[in-house]
Amino acid sequence: MSVDFKFASLRKQPVPRFMLSPRRILADVLSSGWVESMIPFLAFICVVVGVAVTTQDYFVASNLRNLAQYSADGGLIVLAMLIVVAVGGIDLSVGSNFAMSAFVALFCFHILQLPVPVVLVASLGCGAVIGATNGLLAGLIGCGALLTTLATMITVRGIFTLSSQAQMVEISTSARIDDLWDWIGFEKILTMPIGFWVLLAVAILIFVMFRQSAFGWHVLAVGGNRKAARHGGIRVKVTVFLSYVLTGLIVGLSGFLFAARQNSISADTGIGMEFFVLTALVVGLGGFVPGRGAVVPVLIGFATIYIFNNAMINSGFRGDFVQLCMGAIIILILAIDVKFRKNRHRLLASTYLDPVKVTLAPTRGMAGLMPHEIAPKLALARILGAGQLDGPEDVILDRDGNLYCGNRDGRILKLSGPDHSDISVVAKIGGRPLGLAFDPEGRMVACVAGMGLLRVTLDGAVELLTDQTGRSLLSVQDDTSIRMADDLDIAPDGTIYFTDATKRYDIDNWGLDLLEGRPNGRLLSYDPRTRKTRTVCDNLVFPNGVCITHDGKYLLVASTWSCSILIFDLADLAAGPRIFLDGLPGYPDNINRSSDGGYWIALAGMRNAILDQAMKYPGLRQRMTKRVPPTNWLFGNLNIGGVLKIDGSGRIVDALWDAPDGPLYMITSMREHEGALYLGGVTNDKIGRLQLAYADRQWTSQQSYWGKG
Amino acid sequence: MTLEGVLGPNTVIDDAEGLKVEAPQALCVVDGSRLLISSGNAVLAISRWGDQPQPWCVFDQPVTALSASPAGTVGIGLADGSFSVRDRAGSVLAGWGRPESLASVTDCLFVSEDEIALVDSGYRAGEDILSRAPWDETGRGQVVMINRNGAMRRLAAGLHCPMGLARDADGELIVSLLERAAIVDLAGKVRQPGFPAYLGRVRATESGYLLSCLSRRDPLIEFLKTEAEFVAEMKATIDPRHWISPRAHPEFSHDFPIELGATRLFGEIKPWAPSFSYGLVIATDTAFIPTGSAHSRANGARHAISDTVEWNGDVIAVSRASGEVLRFSFAREAA
Repeated sequence: MSVDFKFASLRKQPVPRFMLSPRRILADVLSSGWVESMIPFLAFICVVVGVAVTTQDYFVASNLRNLAQYSADGGLIVLAMLIVVAVGGIDLSVGSNFAMSAFVALFCFHILQLPVPVVLVASLGCGAVIGATNGLLAGLIGCGALLTTLATMITVRGIFTLSSQAQMVEISTSARIDDLWDWIGFEKILTMPIGFWVLLAVAILIFVMFRQSAFGWHVLAVGGNRKAARHGGIRVKVTVFLSYVLTGLIVGLSGFLFAARQNSISADTGIGMEFFVLTALVVGLGGFVPGRGAVVPVLIGFATIYIFNNAMINSGFRGDFVQLCMGAIIILILAIDVKFRKNRHRLLASTYLDPVKVTLAPTRGMAGLMPHEIAPKLALARILGAGQLDGPEDVILDRDGNLYCGNRDGRILKLSGPDHSDISVVAKIGGRPLGLAFDPEGRMVACVAGMGLLRVTLDGAVELLTDQTGRSLLSVQDDTSIRMADDLDIAPDGTIYFTDATKRYDIDNWGLDLLEGRPNGRLLSYDPRTRKTRTVCDNLVFPNGVCITHDGKYLLVASTWSCSILIFDLADLAAGPRIFLDGLPGYPDNINRSSDGGYWIALAGMRNAILDQAMKYPGLRQRMTKRVPPTNWLFGNLNIGGVLKIDGSGRIVDALWDAPDGPLYMITSMREHEGALYLGGVTNDKIGRLQLAYADRQWTSQQSYWGKG
Repeated sequence: MTLEGVLGPNTVIDDAEGLKVEAPQALCVVDGSRLLISSGNAVLAISRWGDQPQPWCVFDQPVTALSASPAGTVGIGLADGSFSVRDRAGSVLAGWGRPESLASVTDCLFVSEDEIALVDSGYRAGEDILSRAPWDETGRGQVVMINRNGAMRRLAAGLHCPMGLARDADGELIVSLLERAAIVDLAGKVRQPGFPAYLGRVRATESGYLLSCLSRRDPLIEFLKTEAEFVAEMKATIDPRHWISPRAHPEFSHDFPIELGATRLFGEIKPWAPSFSYGLVIATDTAFIPTGSAHSRANGARHAISDTVEWNGDVIAVSRASGEVLRFSFAREAA
């Protein structure tokens, strides 16, 4: 039946280079991580502008240097507090710890006359010991963080007061001078004081820690959900303990910097610091939020409070009035921030779906083949694995006639041939396995929604091939991650072509992509030799099934919501797709080769006049998603599907349907193997096996792709 | 009203005993003992549940309405808007007026032994009233009174899809409206609005009323009523069979639209899934406050309940979807 077609004579499928939609930009901005810090950042800008307008020469270089000089110790303590808050705790003893560490530094420097590096170690050690005490009590033993650190705060303050009173005179009369000590206290690098650079370095380290280190992730996991973290194998108590120690260390460092700069302490050193720091933290984070290691927002919050406080005091306002203003403004910022956070998701939900007008080509080439016109051939199919499978989206057979499918629970299952009644687990992947293919070595390659492209050997070894591709240049949302790897096929040169059906919706919400109707998907390729992933064609409408043509020169790609099959020339992928077949009566899913040189197309659902018309009304779909409960949204009819048989030129030659209420209602994949057609469905719990009257009983997909083997 | 509380889901209709009847539509009880069942062009009779239905009378049109007077006279409405009156043996009683210019007779009720009121929905037989009603704002329905002496007078006009007729406790006639989901009197005054279903016939019982429901209301249809341009295009270009609308049958078809929650899983429709067809009978008190309900949910087959009567202490209902006459009883809310 093999019939040639002329690629150059096929119509070109226009593919947009980018999508310009204000609604989408707003939705993408709202769904970005950094938008969380927007209100603190705006508050910071307001404070800066307000101070700049009302205070002359406040933001001149000399004053900024001055601010940087004195802000380092406060900034470090804010970062220290961030760690302990991120792990789900609190540290009220930071002020006392700060004072004690400063005292230890001065004592070691002036009284014990120790070298400066040793003084630093002593100061850090003091902070770490106090942190370890907190960690021991709050983390390991399990006393409450608030009470523990309150007790430590009082105790350390007592020790500090006693020690400092005994040594204060000696310290203040000490005549020791040390170049390194003075360098740390007063020197500048690139016009900025040492303390500022230390603060910057520590901020970067903590940022990297939260982003890249296992410990940082553990801290966030414990803070986010202690029970889940424990179930995930994280040593929760040790993580909490180490967080307190790290907090203590940073406070110790801050105390050391303070000592080097001030060379003195007083009875009120560090008093009230914990509240100042907590205020900055709460303003930056928009509340007391465990499990969030947001370094930049917290520093912005600190800068807001610090500059506001400093500017008011400099302006000569009374201290109590400054406090009153601070309190009022903080309440205002927090109120706005909380309101914004509360409504952000609502706003995002109401803007995320961004429908567009879609006009589908009318159904054609189906005369005499529609479900009401012919007998339901799939009603003759034998049912395999009934009730033992859960969503076999794709089915595939190896050379020995064993049948494989993915399961909703993340397992790849094997139905051993020839009767396929014995079901065993090949591998546990964890994601949602969709498309499957065998490579020339007989290994299975699987598209896994939410994970990417994986390779599975038949002895159960799982290897991630790729889960990222290049970022689109003109997209607000970071689209490097492969969100919904759907189907794949392997070219004769070994290159794997696969689809990322939608970049905007997860497997659970893939139907929303239909209501949106935008080209949100992409065709990707992975070269096993170079291990490189490439975006072959972006902005396709739900690219789904992928099939290399029999001659190995072209690539067929099902565009599900367009009800069409696209074709790419493998020798010139940059030329873009052409339309191989459109006006299908339903939503095409996987495409696979047939033994007679044609192809099988799975139809996951059927078009109907009402939905086709609704696709021309984007405003209606938008309003519907706002006013109608999701369960009542108008949707594609996925309760009836089938299989189309096309010849090599793209002409529909047969259609296989089940009875309207039959068990093989939604077909997402089919494979021909030795004269039988195996049928899978992503919402079904069974596989169908239909004996084909006109098929080559020797033909297998494996041989078609890779020869006799 | 929503399908909660006493209207909350159950499987009473799905669990009911059923009697297969071809194309059933209407019921009535004659002399308090014999049940007449319309079946296409015929009317069948049974004297006891479990008996084989016996032919009672045959007409040249589908029978669309049945009513019996206390004396045993039977009024029969036909699909072409014509009307016949028979005695209890099925013999024609001459002299009754012939209604003119009625599109159909959807229900009838003897007001006295000499007068019978007929309800005309305004839709002809063959016009799928369920498909069209949500998208038609024109009130074409009427209620007419036919007298034994041949006189006919119009009691009410301009009603929107009237389906059933009953008498309230004061003897005044009340009408159930399909799409407006309300009970009104002949002056058009609303007695009870807001039923969660497309109403079929209303029948007075000793404790109140029984409301047969052809389907339940659907948020998507209610929403689309606000989309005038879309509806206009739908009406202009699409066959009414494929419109978004309540349906009588829960069938799967490749060319029907569905709602997102109605997607099959493992081949099954979940009972709580949205559906355009539904089986529901609502029992109310005399103030039309629901006191009980019987359901055939989205995964059931006994949808489109077109008529309900009380017979020998049971509720007898007609499911147009399954082609059955059903017998059940439901516990009502304690008074």
